[in-house]
Amino acid sequence: MSDEYIGIGASFFLAGIIAVSMVILASTLGKKNPTRVKSEAFECGNSPFALPGGKLAIKFYLTAILFVLFDVELVFLYPWAVVYRDLGLLGLAEMGVFLGILMVGYFYAWDNGALKWK
Amino acid sequence: MNGINLNALVLLLPELILVGMALVLLVGARRLRSAVRVAGITVVTAVAAGVAAVWVLGMESNLGYDSMFTVDGYSQFFKVLITGALALTTLLSVRFVVESGIRIAEYHALLLLACTGMMVASSAVDLLTLYLGLELTTLCSYILVGITVDRSEANEAAIKYFLLGSFASALFLYGIALTYGVTQTTNYEGIHEAAQAVRVLGSPGQMILLAAVALLLAGLAFKVAAFPFHAWAPDAYQGAGAPVAAFLAAASKAAGLAALGRVCLVALDAEDRVVAGVLATVAALSILVGSMLAVSQTNMKRLLAYSSIAHAGYALLGFVAATSAMATGAAVTEAMSTGDGAMGAVALEASALEMSAMEALASDGAAASMTYALLYVFMTLGTFGVLVGLGDRGECLDDFQGLAAQRPGIAALMLLFLLSLAGIPPTAGFTAKFGVLLSVVRSGHWWLAVLAVLCSVITAFVYLRVAVVMYMKQPEKDVPARFSWAVSSALAVAALVTMIGGIFPAMALMDGIFPDFVPVWAVPPGN
Repeated sequence: MSDEYIGIGASFFLAGIIAVSMVILASTLGKKNPTRVKSEAFECGNSPFALPGGKLAIKFYLTAILFVLFDVELVFLYPWAVVYRDLGLLGLAEMGVFLGILMVGYFYAWDNGALKWK
Repeated sequence: MNGINLNALVLLLPELILVGMALVLLVGARRLRSAVRVAGITVVTAVAAGVAAVWVLGMESNLGYDSMFTVDGYSQFFKVLITGALALTTLLSVRFVVESGIRIAEYHALLLLACTGMMVASSAVDLLTLYLGLELTTLCSYILVGITVDRSEANEAAIKYFLLGSFASALFLYGIALTYGVTQTTNYEGIHEAAQAVRVLGSPGQMILLAAVALLLAGLAFKVAAFPFHAWAPDAYQGAGAPVAAFLAAASKAAGLAALGRVCLVALDAEDRVVAGVLATVAALSILVGSMLAVSQTNMKRLLAYSSIAHAGYALLGFVAATSAMATGAAVTEAMSTGDGAMGAVALEASALEMSAMEALASDGAAASMTYALLYVFMTLGTFGVLVGLGDRGECLDDFQGLAAQRPGIAALMLLFLLSLAGIPPTAGFTAKFGVLLSVVRSGHWWLAVLAVLCSVITAFVYLRVAVVMYMKQPEKDVPARFSWAVSSALAVAALVTMIGGIFPAMALMDGIFPDFVPVWAVPPGN
């Protein structure tokens, strides 16, 4: 029974090695040229320390929410891919319908100018 | 793996029609500028979906998607009702859409999607399908309440509704999880069987199951705005536009009742003794609190919100009768099966008679609740419709001063709906109340019937006060504009149902027939 979990353990181990080695390699081999901005904590373009009430461009929020929306929907593609052969052509058609409905949402966002960076 | 059955897709035809049109509206959102045209399309779609809902009943198989979705008389009855409410709401909102400057296609797409969710909820025979349907409905409702983004009251109402609504959804989901923990299934039939086994064995799982019952009922009581989960309704109705409030009060409540009925009568019927007790308490308190709080309201939408809370209580009475009758029936069956040898032939026969009486009572009770939902939807849409038509003159109670002298036709129409809401014959409200009270008395809940009648007197005061203001005060404000054709036609339909629903069953009563307004094909569910 525990055999099934060896693979999971191995992938955790590998993921840990990769993450740790990247940090170590970057800090030992990397070129260092610090500026004030580069030394700040990275917060996707926001100032990491600011009082609430400061201005925030709404376009960041809009892009992020659209990304989360479509990203979460696309999670359904992975389980579908696993059982793709069992489902056959009808499964393909069904996923086509699903993606079609998703594309209507995408088209709606595009059509209404949500993707314009203005 | 059952594979995918194309025939099952036909079962979803009414839902597919609504979803399809919603998608078309979204794609064409920026090119559809005429509110009248979009409203026309939506009404036609609603009618088509209603026709499809009845047509689908003729299908051979009525269970689809791994027994998660069913098409039976009960579900299709509510679907026709929901599409009717959708059509009337659309007609009522034509002027609202134009005047408030909201996005036309999106508003109608949200209405269509909310109705799709309601339809799925009334067809659900699996708790997860039910959750999906209810979530789709409430997510669209949150946006509809706050769709006038430049009005701060609408934003406040939407936020309040959203916070309480997501809390109720979480409770409901927790209930599903606990149910699954005890019964290892989310399917209604499966829950019914497993719960029966749990009850017979008397295992510790029963306590968890009872907690699950409480959580599920709490989530559903929120959807029908029954006490003590009613607090959102007055704020949401007041802040939302009048047509949206009408939609929430009518369609949303009907769908909640549909879901509640099936969950109580099919999934949880092993615990019907407890369910009946909880429902009786919730119904009694909803009637009491709704009636009492409506007395002091001066804003018409808040007044109607509290009245809708009371009406939710009345509508639940039929299910109280049905669940307690089923519990008694189950007790008789148990006595028959355990005391088989000891019982004489006469006693057995008496038990069998009582069993069939209880079955009849259960189905009559559910039918009474369905009748109540049907008639309530139309009289509520009618009352809200008058508010919509009056516009600014329909906001507060004082605005109605002297309406009868200025516009006698409108005042008479409002009076008809108010009398119906109060339950005075020969209007539909009387038929509806008579049915639920009769079934509650027959199931032995005398105190509940007495309380309901006493509170009817209180609500009669609430509604007749509006009539007094309309007929016995001098007008102080300008004469309101005539109703547009869209509002007039919606009100004509609502008034027609309110009158027919009052007159025909009254005639049936004289012949001694139980006055339900449920067609023969719409048999209530049960095991």
